[in-house]
Amino acid sequence: MSLMDRIKLHEGLVYDRHPYGKAPGRDPELLTRGIEPPSELELEGMEQMSLLELEVFQHKMTSIVEEARDVYMALSISEGIITGDMNASVFTPEGDPAVVATGIYFHTLLNYGQVKYVMKYYRDDPTVGLQDGDVYFFNDPTCGGVHTFDMFVTAPIFYKGVLVGWAEVGGHQGECGSISPGGFSPRATTRWEEGLHIHGMRIADGWELRRDILDFMLNSVRNPFVFASDLKARVATCKRIRDRVLRECERRGAAGVAGGLRKILAVSGELSRQRISKINDGIYRCVLFNDGVGQESGLVRLPTTVIKQGDEMVVINQGVSPENDKGPQHCTWHLMRASMGVYLFTYFFRGLAPNIGLLEPIKVLVEGPSVANCGAEVAHGEGTTISAMNVQNLHVIGSKMLFDSEHRLSVSAPFSRNLMIYVYSGTNSYGYRTANFTGTQNLAGQGARFDLDGEHASGFYWASVTDAGEVEESDTRLPVVTLARTIDKDFHGFGMHRGGVPSVEISSAPKAGCQLTTRGASDRLSHNPGIFGGYAGPPNPRFVIRGADVFRQMQSGAQDLVLTQYNLARNRPLEGDYHFDYSSKATEDFAEGDLFIDSAGGGGGYGDVLERAPESVMDDLRDQIISADVARDVYRVVFDEELLTVDVAATDAERQAARQDRLSRGKPFDAFVEEWSQLRPSEDKLTYYGSWPEPNVDSYTKPFWGQFE
Amino acid sequence: MRVRVTEYLDLAIPERRWSCNRCGRDLGPAERPYKEGCLIANRDPREVHPVLAADEEFNFSFDPEWVRLVEFYCPGCGTMVENEYLPPGHPLTWDIDLDLDAFERTHREVPEDTTSPTVP
Repeated sequence: MSLMDRIKLHEGLVYDRHPYGKAPGRDPELLTRGIEPPSELELEGMEQMSLLELEVFQHKMTSIVEEARDVYMALSISEGIITGDMNASVFTPEGDPAVVATGIYFHTLLNYGQVKYVMKYYRDDPTVGLQDGDVYFFNDPTCGGVHTFDMFVTAPIFYKGVLVGWAEVGGHQGECGSISPGGFSPRATTRWEEGLHIHGMRIADGWELRRDILDFMLNSVRNPFVFASDLKARVATCKRIRDRVLRECERRGAAGVAGGLRKILAVSGELSRQRISKINDGIYRCVLFNDGVGQESGLVRLPTTVIKQGDEMVVINQGVSPENDKGPQHCTWHLMRASMGVYLFTYFFRGLAPNIGLLEPIKVLVEGPSVANCGAEVAHGEGTTISAMNVQNLHVIGSKMLFDSEHRLSVSAPFSRNLMIYVYSGTNSYGYRTANFTGTQNLAGQGARFDLDGEHASGFYWASVTDAGEVEESDTRLPVVTLARTIDKDFHGFGMHRGGVPSVEISSAPKAGCQLTTRGASDRLSHNPGIFGGYAGPPNPRFVIRGADVFRQMQSGAQDLVLTQYNLARNRPLEGDYHFDYSSKATEDFAEGDLFIDSAGGGGGYGDVLERAPESVMDDLRDQIISADVARDVYRVVFDEELLTVDVAATDAERQAARQDRLSRGKPFDAFVEEWSQLRPSEDKLTYYGSWPEPNVDSYTKPFWGQFE
Repeated sequence: MRVRVTEYLDLAIPERRWSCNRCGRDLGPAERPYKEGCLIANRDPREVHPVLAADEEFNFSFDPEWVRLVEFYCPGCGTMVENEYLPPGHPLTWDIDLDLDAFERTHREVPEDTTSPTVP
């Protein structure tokens, strides 16, 4: 019996495709059809290339895209790109991503739709065509992209007149002419408030940018200098990829390169199947909730079910909250699928080269229309909030799948996704207009691992191999003055192995002032679950202090001023108006002395807190990442608060007492369910949830969710 | 034979029963969720997650009206086998529902792995 027979999808909803159809520039069928079958040219090259030679070829192609990554980061003046929110890749001639640089994996698991659109609709159209030196630009989320502020270019690679592949480069540009400077518009309710939408437009002939097109684009955004500079950086990087690939064509011929790229996908698909086949067959589940939709607070649900059988997996999002007209937290089918690469490539398929071939044995079913598989008209700017919830669920599920396998090293709690993004806008030290976030987004805490604590200030959620850059440099590029970056206290998930702590950035508006827009989720709850009894990373709301006297205190030589989130929130050592807020806030003006406290959140823990080695708890205390209260009340360690030495016998007794407390307060399943099932959130929290507790079922009374068979 | 399936869960074959990895306490039939064999507590998350900003609606801890901390304990030794953060009253998660025929087939064919995990 197939395990899928135990799943009953709801009628009247779509799962394997988008709920929207074709439109000018948009063909959603291209986004769901999977990898193209090999062309004759590709088949010829695939037959020629041995597996050994493929290793050499793949290594060469990888070095090309990694070099491109460095080139793009070096040429860019956008904060997001400089700090690694970007990617570079080589696609097959038919438009599938074959070689992907380290960086934002999902960027290049997305943009096949636009390339395939050019191939299907423009290549043979006499008004457009396709030639060497053409460069296409795209950023429309409904056509295969992320959100309008992630912008990409792609260029065909022709060798002696034969199309052998595509170069592709792009990343988080930021400002896109939306209603809020810097891209993120947490109050947007339709796509028409989210700025420039370009589905796939040729912007260059013979590698020369067209002046009329460039002027149109620059006239559509607030930061034309940055936009133009980054666009040129992207085109230059694309050309570098193309030039490098052509050298390989000289060695291998057109069929060798085209076939090699296609063979990478075929082999990756096989390796993926091998990895999957070694995991226990079964049905695995996890669920997360959000606490807002943009303009308003409210519960939103995103459950994930994975069916693993043989060498295939099905990822199902069923029972998702419906679309709403109150914000931009709406995801597309293709973004849900592509985002999975962030977990799968980094952990689940660890050791395998990342490309879209690895997804070949994985079927994706996303319920729509819903916040996870939305229509075309809603706002999409924070679709990543929804797709990240799925990634977090998948991370928990994947760890439960991998524990009893030879890949236990990949078992961990998820990376922090409680990122609170502060987008600063204004005129920078160089005198040009700019709008973006700082590199502190790359300082999130890692989830605890099965054998180790999570790393502190480890990386960016979507690209764990990233760097936060130097604050002196970002202070010149952005209208903000960074005062401190600190590993903060009581701001991670506790457990036998604890989650990593983020670096919290504390900054102020410069003399000229600035504007600030903030976006987030997880203000009252968390998207950073722990695993196997480890506690979650904590919520991460917006924290701003208006009119703080920080500069006055610094000028007067205050020696005891400690600029940490913990100290500022707990002890309020500065004069000023303290604001702890819902994270999705429209753009506001700020003046010098106003303080912004910002971080990407702490990772969840692994295992029971009562199994954490008491000496490790003391280390956490010495490192000032936990308070004495946590050591005593959560970890139940008895220690000398001055010397930080453990009383071993007393700790054993204390922990035994804690276990007895659990046995006393814990209820048997039936008794628990009888009480628990009587509870329900108040109606004001369920406005955007759908039916309670299963959003698409009128009445549901089972003790476990998702049981529809 | 007992196979360790998670940090705290063993699965015995051919008996097909869950048990606690730490104390061996039986946690029920593997055809059903192991959570049915646990003791379960509904906790205010603020008992674990410190409130940084006292008396504020948003305070870096969880809001107990929005989400509760549900803890699952082994009834034998009190080890916390798993937890969930759920809106009050939301159904629990049947997180691991194995194909037991396939599981038994796989694990009978290979001896129990007692070595350290290998680098892939």
